Amino acid sequence: MPIERSWTEWRGAATDLRHLLWFRARTVRRPRAAATALVVLLGLTAAAAVVPALTGRHESTLDRLDDLLPAYLLAVLALSTATAVASGGGREVLARDAAAGHPIDPFTDHLGALVLAPLSAAWLLQSWFLLGAAAYEAGPHPVRLLTADAVALAWIGCATAAGQLVGWLAEWLRRSPRGVAAVRVAGAIALITAGASGVLPDLRGLLLDGPAGRTADVLTGHAATGPAPALLLAACVLLVVAGGHAARLTARRVPRDETRLASRSYASRSPARSDLAALVRTDRASVWRSVPLRRGTYFLALAPGLVALTHPLSWSSLAVLPGLVVSGCALLFGVNAWAIDGQGLLWRETLPVPPGLALLARAKVLAELLLGAGLVTVVLGGLRAGPPSGAEATAVAVALLVVTGQALSGSLRWSLRSPYAVDLRSARATPAPPLAMVGYSSRLALVTTVTTMLLGALAIQGRADLVLAVGGVLVAWSALRLAGVWRSWRDPVARARVVTVVAA
Amino acid sequence: MTGEEGPAIEVAGLRVAFGAVEAVAGVDLSVPAGHALALLGRNGAGKSTTMRVLAGVVPPADGVVRVCGHDVRDELLTVKRLVGYCPDVGGLVPRATPWEHLQLSARLRRLTGWEPRARDLLERFELGNAAHRVTSGFSHGMSRRLSVLLAALHEPAVLLLDEPFDGVDPVGVEATMEVIDDARAGGAAVLVSTHLRDLAVQACGEVTVLRGGTGVATVPAATMAGEEGARAYRALLD
Repeated sequence: MPIERSWTEWRGAATDLRHLLWFRARTVRRPRAAATALVVLLGLTAAAAVVPALTGRHESTLDRLDDLLPAYLLAVLALSTATAVASGGGREVLARDAAAGHPIDPFTDHLGALVLAPLSAAWLLQSWFLLGAAAYEAGPHPVRLLTADAVALAWIGCATAAGQLVGWLAEWLRRSPRGVAAVRVAGAIALITAGASGVLPDLRGLLLDGPAGRTADVLTGHAATGPAPALLLAACVLLVVAGGHAARLTARRVPRDETRLASRSYASRSPARSDLAALVRTDRASVWRSVPLRRGTYFLALAPGLVALTHPLSWSSLAVLPGLVVSGCALLFGVNAWAIDGQGLLWRETLPVPPGLALLARAKVLAELLLGAGLVTVVLGGLRAGPPSGAEATAVAVALLVVTGQALSGSLRWSLRSPYAVDLRSARATPAPPLAMVGYSSRLALVTTVTTMLLGALAIQGRADLVLAVGGVLVAWSALRLAGVWRSWRDPVARARVVTVVAA
Repeated sequence: MTGEEGPAIEVAGLRVAFGAVEAVAGVDLSVPAGHALALLGRNGAGKSTTMRVLAGVVPPADGVVRVCGHDVRDELLTVKRLVGYCPDVGGLVPRATPWEHLQLSARLRRLTGWEPRARDLLERFELGNAAHRVTSGFSHGMSRRLSVLLAALHEPAVLLLDEPFDGVDPVGVEATMEVIDDARAGGAAVLVSTHLRDLAVQACGEVTVLRGGTGVATVPAATMAGEEGARAYRALLD
């Protein structure tokens, strides 16, 4: 393709993206809150890039950082890639149905996915940690600090663009004949490689000595900065351009998951034994028949557990994993739980069943998904963690229960307070707008991580009694909040609001 | 049927507001058992909102709304048992099959021996071959037909059909007309909201025209037929 034509296309894509983002910004429900959130996020990013440099530095901490940084840089790349692959090509600026009437170019779609990628708690947290580590390594020298931050930001940009490129390629592959099997094989190879790196020193060395190792050397001051920022920036631009062309290739193929779903048949089953069982059966079908929800759940349940299986964690550290997994699963649909019915919620609301029973069914299905995913992670991680002490076993069990309660009560509260009409057929769709998702994911991550770290710390002290006491209080608190949701849901006005918004 | 005295559908001074917007601003309706009434009006006239109130989805802000003598505020579950509702949009759970929709409705409405009627309705609406396919792949017309079928399954005392003919092929229109006729013959009150005046005239005995959230006229359906009816309708809309 002639360079001039390509440049014109990219410029057009950037212009279209600007219009789309303006449209999205105009449709934000609470613009002042959104603006405040953006300012807070930028402030936190600036703080992460500067504050650690101003704190006192310790040799032991620097040594540990030196050891960890290459692996951490690879982890940033791995997470960006996994997110883009799992979401079928990253986020979309406009929902598919809304975008159908507009000539949105794949380049625009690709740039939109890149712009929206930072609006996720996982992306933000990993970026803040990396910026913080770079700043800590650089110390309070303005030039070194600026250079370190620039290198860290360039790496984050490269990782995001590379992840997006792989995401499009995986989606392109998935949409080909036998593509699903091919993607599964590729995923298995990636997982096995990641796992083998834990037990094969040569493989680990090969992975860590590449670009990640060299970037880490620059960040830790073991190598001169030289042209590193410029090289990373050039790589970033190339990856963005390559991603655009991968998006264009992908757009030429029909999304397989959705066409498969739309034509699938299911044999009839015997009648349900109770009203609750009938409602639960319908809700379970809505979750498990959805390819994106099923794929997301499997990924979240298995990936951290497999990592813990290959890189064994102590039981007290393992207590933290359910919080991350359960929070991630809640973000798949739980934070807008009524949306899985789509416009069918209007019909369901006319069925003669007490409103509390419909809520109970939805809560049961969400709770079993959260608990199940967390349990799989713990079981996998526990296989190589050795026998736990009584306090550790208690801490992990209590952590699983507590974070499930926290994610469940938070999800159902948000589902009632801020419902959205979303089409969850596409893997790229999210149950709420990007900024709302940042808010949900940040709150879930903060609450569950603090809780599980506290329980893990108590387990290290051998205080099973305190673990049980803290767990009991937190479960009771979640139960109280669920009771509040129950009361609100029984109010016909509140319910009508949810139904009319979701079914719009 | 309940055997209650008075009209099966009774709406007086109904008001519904969504925030600052008043969607319904004083609608009065009365439909006796065995009769069908069509709601006509422009977009935003309040037809669908009135239907949703009668179906128990949206609570009334003010006014009286009774179904077979049961107040929609105080006896919501009873009202829901008496009503069969076809919503104006979608109305189907995307990842459930038609048969699963029917099973859920039958279970929650305590229906027994409903399967032969369900199969018959599926055949009449030409959905027999799609009974076990998830509805997310359905065309608009198929979805409409299934929504009408679901509303009619339990032979409700009050049948509410919101835009039942929208995007439906002639076979579906015929099946819907049959459902309305059967419901009337069985003593049900039928309320049909549509923009298709000719079909409304064909399906119903009376027509109520809504404008700006209020009823402006209730007239025999025949007066809305043909060219003259079109002029009369147009005059009521302006």
